[in-house]
Amino acid sequence: MPFTEISAKLVEAQVVPGQRMFSQRGAMVAYKGDVRFTPNIQGGQGGVMSMIGRRVANESTPLMTVEGQGTVMFGHGGHHVEVINLDGDTLCVEADRLLAFDGSLQQGTLFLGKDGGVMGMVRGQISGQGLFTTTLTGKGAAAVMAHGGIVQLPITPDRPVHVDPQAYVAHFGDVRNKLSTALGWRDMVGRGSGEGFQLELTGNGAVFVQASEEKL
Amino acid sequence: MAQFRLHGTKVLAVTLSGGGDTVKAKNGSMVAYDGQMAFKKMTGGGEGIRGMVTRRLTGEQMTVMEVKGQGTCFFADRASDISLVRLNGEKLHVEASNLLCTDAGLHTGTSFTGLRGATQGNGLFTTAVEGTGEAALMSAGPAVLLRVSQGAPLQVDPGAYVAHQGNLRQSFQSGVNFRTFMGEGSGEAFQIRFEGDGLVYVQPSERNTVGGEL
Repeated sequence: MPFTEISAKLVEAQVVPGQRMFSQRGAMVAYKGDVRFTPNIQGGQGGVMSMIGRRVANESTPLMTVEGQGTVMFGHGGHHVEVINLDGDTLCVEADRLLAFDGSLQQGTLFLGKDGGVMGMVRGQISGQGLFTTTLTGKGAAAVMAHGGIVQLPITPDRPVHVDPQAYVAHFGDVRNKLSTALGWRDMVGRGSGEGFQLELTGNGAVFVQASEEKL
Repeated sequence: MAQFRLHGTKVLAVTLSGGGDTVKAKNGSMVAYDGQMAFKKMTGGGEGIRGMVTRRLTGEQMTVMEVKGQGTCFFADRASDISLVRLNGEKLHVEASNLLCTDAGLHTGTSFTGLRGATQGNGLFTTAVEGTGEAALMSAGPAVLLRVSQGAPLQVDPGAYVAHQGNLRQSFQSGVNFRTFMGEGSGEAFQIRFEGDGLVYVQPSERNTVGGEL
């Protein structure tokens, strides 16, 4: 487990030779030992095709490769950082919320419109996530940023969870999401409760929610 | 009866058991829920026409929604810290902007605060919460609970004041002097003075107030 949380807003990562790590460019605050940071123009793993895919999907955040031997501390913008350990699961997270992750995790881009068709696209627009999201699969850990603390809510088949799209951070497991609306005539006349749209998550897994309705 | 509990310091979890169980919460402050929930905006703070008019006139407007259903609902607002206050018939005075969620058993009204309010940047009025149940307060940074007892009055910066409860008299004091007018003030020109027996909630941050710059 390479990440340890030093404080709510700072994580420390162990870097060992032969194991790469990716982090958001400029997120390093301090390091010890012999560590090299190389800007990664491809924005992550995979070849040129993956890079083009990410560019097209607007899921490319400037990343850098961290290699060498030592410890590195990561933090960014005073945001809260949460370490999520993956054990073969797939984590879906927005690229700009990703602070750092293990090189052992397989990075990919997921088209959100695929489950839900037109509604899926509408959901992407409303939640401000766009139509694509970044996926991380495999064994390893990822450090994810959020405004305010993060709460992890379990999802079981008999316990679906509804999340405010603005407070949604990430989810993992076998989870289907769809946009549910609770729009009534009140919303049409400007008397809405401010909770007109929700992401409904069903299946098996967990969702991470931040204590704020602000995007990063 | 709704169950209030804190999830960390910034997320409030309210468990509703259905059957007409309701809470009042700040509009748009829900971040997640499970079970069945319905959200309905309550015009004018949910105190009827009279309450609505009073709130409009006093500037203590709250946009509140009624949350009804069965399950657990999570509330949070711009990463503010949350404190829970349990009321058993007492009265709690709080700024409308600092109130996140109240039990349906609590009644909210407006009360006049006098000159103090004007320096607070929140108008001349404050919200009074009364009844039996729990209320959740928000503050920028974790709120400190300060006790006021007989013979030990407390002075609070109007910008850092969040709420108070108990048998307290409040007065307004100013330290405006010659230096203030010369632009050499210490930034602490006004304070609220609390005397009596009770508790005052103070946040480790200051709102922009009229007196804050002096």
